[in-house]
Amino acid sequence: MFASNLLLLLAIILPLASLLLALRPDWQQAYRYCLPVLPLPALLAGLTLGPDASLELPGLLLGGLWGLNELRQVFLVLTATLWLAAGVFAVGYLKVHYLRRFCVFWTLTLAGNLGLVIAQDVASFYSFFALMTFAGYGLVVHEGSKEANRAGRVYLAMAVAGEMAILTGLLMAVQQADSGLLADLPAAVAQADRRWLIMFLLLAGFGVKAGLPLLHFWLPLAHPVAPTPASAVLSGAMIKAGLLGWLVTLPFGEVSLPGWGNVLVILGAVGSLGGAVLGVRHRRPKAVLAYSSISQMGLMTLMVGAALANAEYAGPLFAVIGLYVLHHGLAKGSLFLSTAMALPAGRSGQWLLWVLVALPGLSLSGLPYTSGAASKLAMKELLKPENFEFALAPYLPALMSAGAVATMLLVWRFLWVQRTAVGTGNNPVFMWLGWGLATISSLVLFWFLPWPREASVPGWPGSMVHSAWSLVWPILLATIISAVAWRSVKQR
Amino acid sequence: MNLSVLMPVFALMTSLLASVVLFALPEKGHRLRTIINLAAAILKIALVGVMIWGVAQGCKYEAAFTMLPGVEFVLRADALSMLFAGLSALLWLLTTIYAVGYLEDSPNRSRFFGFFSLCVASTMGIALAGNLFTFFLFYEMLTLSTYPLVVHRGTTKALRAGRNYIIYTLTGGAVLLFAIAWLHGLVGDLRFQEGGYFSDIAPSMRGPLAIIFVLMMVGLGVKAALVPFHGWLPQAMVAPAPVSALLHAVAVVKAGAFGIIRVVFEIYGLEAAKDMGLLAGLSVVAAFTIIYGSTRALYQVDLKRRLAFSTVSQVSYIVLGLCLLGPVGVAGGLVHLVHQGIMKITLFFCAGNYAETLGVHRIDELDGAGKRMPGTSVAFTLGAFGMIGAPPLAGFITKWTMGSGALAVGMDWVVAVLVISSLLNAAYFLPILHRLWFAEQCEPWPHERRWGRLETSAWLLWPPLITAALMLVAGLIANLPFSPLSWAELIVAREVAL
Amino acid sequence: MTLWLMAGLLFTPLAWAVLTLLLDFSKGRVVTWLGILVQVLVSLGLWAAVASDGEFLYLLGGWQAPMGIELRVDGLAVTFVLLTALVAAACGWHASIYLDPDKPWNRYFWPLFWFLWAGLNAVWLGGDLFNVYVGLELISLAAVGLVALGGQADALRAAIRYLMAALLGSLAYLLGVALIYGQFGTLSLAGVTDLVSNGGAQSNLTFPLILMLLGLALKTALFPMHGWLPPAHGIAKSPVSALLSALVVKASFYIAARLWLDLGGDLGGYALAQLIGVLGSLAVIWGSWLAFRQAKLKQVVAYSSVAQIGYLFLLFPLTWGVTDAISQQAQQGITLQVVSHALAKAAMFLAAGNLIMSVGSNRVDALAGVSRFLPFSLFSFGLAGVSLMGLPPTGGFAAKWLLLQASLASGQWWWLGVLLAGGLLSAAYVFRVYRASFIEATDTDQFYHPSRSLEVIPMILALLSLGLGLVAEPVLSVMSLPFEGAGS
Repeated sequence: MFASNLLLLLAIILPLASLLLALRPDWQQAYRYCLPVLPLPALLAGLTLGPDASLELPGLLLGGLWGLNELRQVFLVLTATLWLAAGVFAVGYLKVHYLRRFCVFWTLTLAGNLGLVIAQDVASFYSFFALMTFAGYGLVVHEGSKEANRAGRVYLAMAVAGEMAILTGLLMAVQQADSGLLADLPAAVAQADRRWLIMFLLLAGFGVKAGLPLLHFWLPLAHPVAPTPASAVLSGAMIKAGLLGWLVTLPFGEVSLPGWGNVLVILGAVGSLGGAVLGVRHRRPKAVLAYSSISQMGLMTLMVGAALANAEYAGPLFAVIGLYVLHHGLAKGSLFLSTAMALPAGRSGQWLLWVLVALPGLSLSGLPYTSGAASKLAMKELLKPENFEFALAPYLPALMSAGAVATMLLVWRFLWVQRTAVGTGNNPVFMWLGWGLATISSLVLFWFLPWPREASVPGWPGSMVHSAWSLVWPILLATIISAVAWRSVKQR
Repeated sequence: MNLSVLMPVFALMTSLLASVVLFALPEKGHRLRTIINLAAAILKIALVGVMIWGVAQGCKYEAAFTMLPGVEFVLRADALSMLFAGLSALLWLLTTIYAVGYLEDSPNRSRFFGFFSLCVASTMGIALAGNLFTFFLFYEMLTLSTYPLVVHRGTTKALRAGRNYIIYTLTGGAVLLFAIAWLHGLVGDLRFQEGGYFSDIAPSMRGPLAIIFVLMMVGLGVKAALVPFHGWLPQAMVAPAPVSALLHAVAVVKAGAFGIIRVVFEIYGLEAAKDMGLLAGLSVVAAFTIIYGSTRALYQVDLKRRLAFSTVSQVSYIVLGLCLLGPVGVAGGLVHLVHQGIMKITLFFCAGNYAETLGVHRIDELDGAGKRMPGTSVAFTLGAFGMIGAPPLAGFITKWTMGSGALAVGMDWVVAVLVISSLLNAAYFLPILHRLWFAEQCEPWPHERRWGRLETSAWLLWPPLITAALMLVAGLIANLPFSPLSWAELIVAREVAL
Repeated sequence: MTLWLMAGLLFTPLAWAVLTLLLDFSKGRVVTWLGILVQVLVSLGLWAAVASDGEFLYLLGGWQAPMGIELRVDGLAVTFVLLTALVAAACGWHASIYLDPDKPWNRYFWPLFWFLWAGLNAVWLGGDLFNVYVGLELISLAAVGLVALGGQADALRAAIRYLMAALLGSLAYLLGVALIYGQFGTLSLAGVTDLVSNGGAQSNLTFPLILMLLGLALKTALFPMHGWLPPAHGIAKSPVSALLSALVVKASFYIAARLWLDLGGDLGGYALAQLIGVLGSLAVIWGSWLAFRQAKLKQVVAYSSVAQIGYLFLLFPLTWGVTDAISQQAQQGITLQVVSHALAKAAMFLAAGNLIMSVGSNRVDALAGVSRFLPFSLFSFGLAGVSLMGLPPTGGFAAKWLLLQASLASGQWWWLGVLLAGGLLSAAYVFRVYRASFIEATDTDQFYHPSRSLEVIPMILALLSLGLGLVAEPVLSVMSLPFEGAGS
C-alpha cells in the first residue's frame, strides 16, 4: 500500500522536483540528460500497480484523490512510454538554443499529462489538464519563428476557450453531483436538468484537445512547428488527454443517448475523412501526420459516439478505445520521431530505416499482425450495426472501412513527402535510441501487455487469418489510389 | 486589562508606534530604520498569528471605550477581521522588505516609511474595527496616510494622481460619513454583529435603510474601485512600486471591499439585504466592473496601468461573491480578499522589478525579460495565471468556489461573468507572458542596473518569489485548516446564518 | 477657594502686564515664563475646584452690576479657561523664541499679551453683560496692538481696519446692552434670563438681542462681515495670528452663544436662527473657497479661520426649538469645534510661521521641497489640517459628528450638506499646501532650520487637537454643565 502510494506520488513529484535543475543556467546539460528519467516512476506505476491503486490527499486543493483503474492504466502506460521515448530522443535532438527553457516546459507538460491521467478528483484533474495545456504552449512556440508564434497564438486562444468550457462544464457537473470526484460525475450528468449544456461544454472543451472537427485548427498548425519530440508527445499523448476527459466525465453507461451518438458519429466521420482529404494536400511530413491524427481521433470519436448511444456497450467499447489509444499513440509517436531522422549513408541502412518508418504507418492502417489490426478488429467486432439503435448505426462499418482507406492514403502521402524532405547524415545515438524505443514499443510492447489481449476479439490471433481480407483491402485500395496519384503528378 | 483586551491594541500599536519612531529617525539612519521596520512587522505577524489561533479556538478579543456620547471606539478580533489582518500583517513584512530594496539610494525615506507604517496601521485598524464609527475612523486615516505615498515622487504626474486620489476618496468618505451618521441617528451605535441587525425590520424603515445602503456602497465603492468610481486607481499607479503593491493588494481597495463585507454581513445581514433587494443591484454593478476593468486592461500599454485595471476587475470579485446568497459563493468572495491580495502584490512587485532593474515600463519593452530576470518572471507568470484563474493557483480556488456557489443558488449568469472575465484576463496577461519567455530581446534595456550574481537586488527578488509561492500554496492546500479557503468557510459558518 | 482662583485668573494677568511693561524684552520674557506657569497652575486649580464643587456664582464686592463685578464659573467656562491657558502658554513660549529681541518694539509684546489673556479670562468668567463688554474691549485693543506690532505700513493698515471693525462691533453690542438695561435695570445675564422667562416674550426685546448679536458677529468675523479678519491675521506675527485665530474670535462668539442660549429661546425666532445658520454656512463655503485661492500661506490659514468660524454659527439653528437632548448635542459639538479649532489653528499658524521662516517666503508655491527639509513643521501643519478637514480621529471630526447627529435629529438635514461640503473644501486648501510641499526637483536648496522648540510647540498643539477626538468624552464631561444649566 505504502509503496504504491509512493509510486503514484513520485510519478508527479519527480518531474516537478526536477525543475530545481533549472535554478542554475550551468545545470542545463544535466537537465537535458534527466529528461528520459522523468516519466519512469509513472511507467513503473502503470505497469506494476493494480487497477485499484489509489492515494488520498485530503489537503490538496479541494480534496485530492489520485489513483488508477483499467482505463487510466492504459493511458498511463501509453503516456509514460511515449514521453520516455520522446525524452530519450530529445536528449539527442536538442540544441543549446534555449535548452533550459525547453526542459522546463517539457517537464511541466509531462507532469500535467501524467497527472491528469492519475487524478481522480475534479480539481486535480483540471489542474493537471490546465498545466499541460499552458505548458504545451512553450513547446509549440519553442522555435520562435513567426510561424511558430502564429501557431502558438491559435493554440493558446483555442486552448483557453476550451479550458473555460471545461471549467464551466465541470462546475455544473460537480454542482449536480455534489461531489468533487470524477467517478461521481457521469451519473450526475445523466440526471442533470441541463444535461445537454453540460455535455456540450465538456464535449467542446475536451474536443479542442482531441481535435474534434472545427475545433482542430490549432493541430495542423502547432504540430509541424514544434520540435520533433514535442510533436510526438503532442500528437501521441496530449491529444489523448481530451479523449480521456470525455471518457471520465460524460455519462457513459448511465443512460443511452442516441441523439448525442448521432452527432458524435457525424463529427467522427467528418474528422476521419475530412482530415484525410485536407491532409493529403500538405507537403510537410509533420503536417500530414497531424491530419492523420485528426483522422484517427475521428475514428475514436466514432467509438465514443457509439458508447454514448448505447449504455450497455459503453464498458466493452471503453476497453477497445483503450486499445486503440495505446496503438495509435505509440505508432503516431514513432512516426513523428522518424521525421527528424536522417538517412544513413549505406543503402541497406536506408532500406532498414524506411521499413522501420513505414511499419508503424502500416500498423495504423491495420496491417495484419500489428497492433492496428488488433484494435481495428476489436472495433469492428463491437461496432456492429445490430448492437445499436441510433440512426447512423447502419453506416458504421462503411465509415470504418472508409476511415481505414483514408488512413492508408495519409500514410502513403507521409512517406512520399518524407522521402523528399529527408536528408542523409548521422543521427545522434540518443535519437536512434528514442526513435527505436518508440517504434519497438509500437510494434512489440503491445503484445506483452495483459489487457490489450483481453480486450480484443476472442480466438485471437487465429481469427486474424479469417478477417485478413477485410483488413487488407483498404490498404490495397489506398495503395492503388496513391500510385495513380503519384504517377499522374510525376507525369505533369 | 487582561490579555484579550490588549491583543488587538498591541496589534494596532506595533505599526502605529513604528510609524512614529520612523518619522523621528534622521534621514541617514538607514540601517536602524530597516531594523525597526522589520522588527515591527515580524512582531505584528506574531501577534496576529496568536490572535488567529485564539479566534479559531473561540476566544474573543475586544477593547472598547466611549469616544463621544453614544459612540464607542471598538477594536475587536473576530474571524472576519483576522482574514484581513492576517493578510495585511503578512504582506506588510514582504512589502517592507521590498521597499527597503526599492528605495535604496532615494531621498525621503524617513517620510516614506513613516507613512507606510501609518498606512498599515490604518489597515490594521480597519480590520479590527468593531463598529462602523471605528471603521470610518481608520478608513479616513488610510486615505490621509496613503496620499504622501502616492505623491512620493513629487512629479507633476504623481501630484495630479494624488489630487485625483484625494478628491475621489475624500468625497467617498464624506458620503460614507453621511450614511453612517444617518444610520446612527436612526438606530444608534451598532457594533458589527454576526447576522446583522435588520432581519426583522419594520417596513417603514426599509426606505431609509435602502438609501443608506446605497450611500454606503458609494462611499465604500470609491476605494473598492467599483465602476464608475474607479477613476483614481489607474492614475495612482504612478506611485513607487511598493506603494502600488500595497494599495492594490491590501490597503486601499481592500479597505473598501472589506467595508462592504462588514456592512452587508454584520450591519444589514445577508438575508435582510437580499430581502430589501439591495444585493441584486450591487451584484450587477460588481459584474459590470469585472467586465469593464478587464476590457480596459486589454488596451493598456503600460504594464502597471494594465495591472491597475486588472485590480479594478478583480476586487469586484469579492463584492460579487457576497451577492451570491449561499455559503459557498460567499466564501468564494471572502477568500478572494486574500487571494487577490497575494496575486496582485506579486504582479506589482514584478512590475517594480522590471522597472527598477531594466527600466522597463511598457509591455512592448518586455521582450526577452524572462531570460534576463528568470526569478521575477516566474513569479509574474504564476501571478498572471493566478489572475486568469488557472489551477492549482489561488485564483482558481476563488473562481471555482464562486462558480459553485453561483450555481448552487441558481445565479448562472455569474458563471458567465467569471468565464468572460477569465477569457479577458487571459487575453491581456498571456501576451505579456509570451513576450517574457518567447520573444527575443531586440533592443537594449532602457536603464539597466546590475546587482552582481543575482538578476536583481535580493531585497527585490525574494518578496515576489515568496508571494508567488504563497499563492501556489494557498491553492494547493486549500482544503487544510487555516488555509484562506478554510478560514473563509469558518467565517461563513460562524457569521452568516443562511 | 474658587473665588480666589477666579480672582487670580482675572487680576494676575494684569499684574504681569504691568510688570512686563516696565521691563525690556528679555526680562519680560523671563517674567512671562513665570507668569505662564502660574496661570496654568491656577487654571488647573480652578478646574479641580469646579470638578469637586460644581458651578459657582459670585458678586464681587457685594454690589449688583454694573457697579460690581459678577463672576460666574461653570464647566464650560473652565473648559475655555483651560483652553486659553494652554494655547496662550504655547503661543507665549513660541513667541519668546520666535520674536527678535533686538527689535525695540517687541518689548511691547509681553504687556499686550498679558492684557489679552486677562481680557479673555474676564469674558469666560464674567457673569454680567457690561463686564463682559469690558473684557471684550480689552481683548480688542490688545489684539489690535499686537497686530500693529512691528510697524510696517501693511500691518498698520490692517490693524486700523481691525480696530474699526472692533469698535463698530462694540458699539452695536453696547447699544443692545443699554437697551436691555433700560428695560430690566439689571445687567446680570442670569437676572435678565429670569426676568425674560417669567415676563414672557416681549417683542421689543428682540431688537436689542439682534443688535448685540450683530456686534458680536462682526467681531467674530461672520460672513459677510469677515473682511477685516484675513488681513489682520495674515499680516501679524505667527504667534499673534495664532492667538487671534485661536482665542480672540472665540471670545465674542462665546458671548453670543451665551446670549442666544439664555435669551434666544424666548426672544429669538426660527427665521433669525436659520438666517444666522445660513450666514455661517456661507462663511464655510466662501471662506474655504477664498482660502483655496490665496497665494500666501498665512492668508490661506486666515481664510480658513473665516470658514471654520462659520461652523460655530450652526449652534444657533441647532439649539432653537429643539429638544434638550438635541440642543445639548449641538452645544457639545460646537464646544468641541471651538476647542479643536483653537488648537489646530494655533498649531497651523505656528507651523506656518516656521515654514515661512525656513523658506524665506510666504508664498504657497515656495514650499516646494520643504517636505524633505522640514518634515516636522510640515507634519504639524498637516495634522492640524486633518483636524480642520474634520477627518477622524481628530477633535474636528468629533465636533462634526455631533453636529451631524444634531442636524439629523432636529430634522434640519440641510446643514449636513454644509458640514460635508465644508470638510471637502477645507481638504482642498489643506491639500494644496501639502501638494506644494511634495513637489520635488527644486533649485532652492537653501533652507533655514528653526530651533527645535519652535518646531515642537505646534506639534504638541496639533497632537492635542488630533487626540481630542479620541478623548472627546472626558473633555465633554468637563463641561458637563452646559450653557443652559449655568443660566438657571
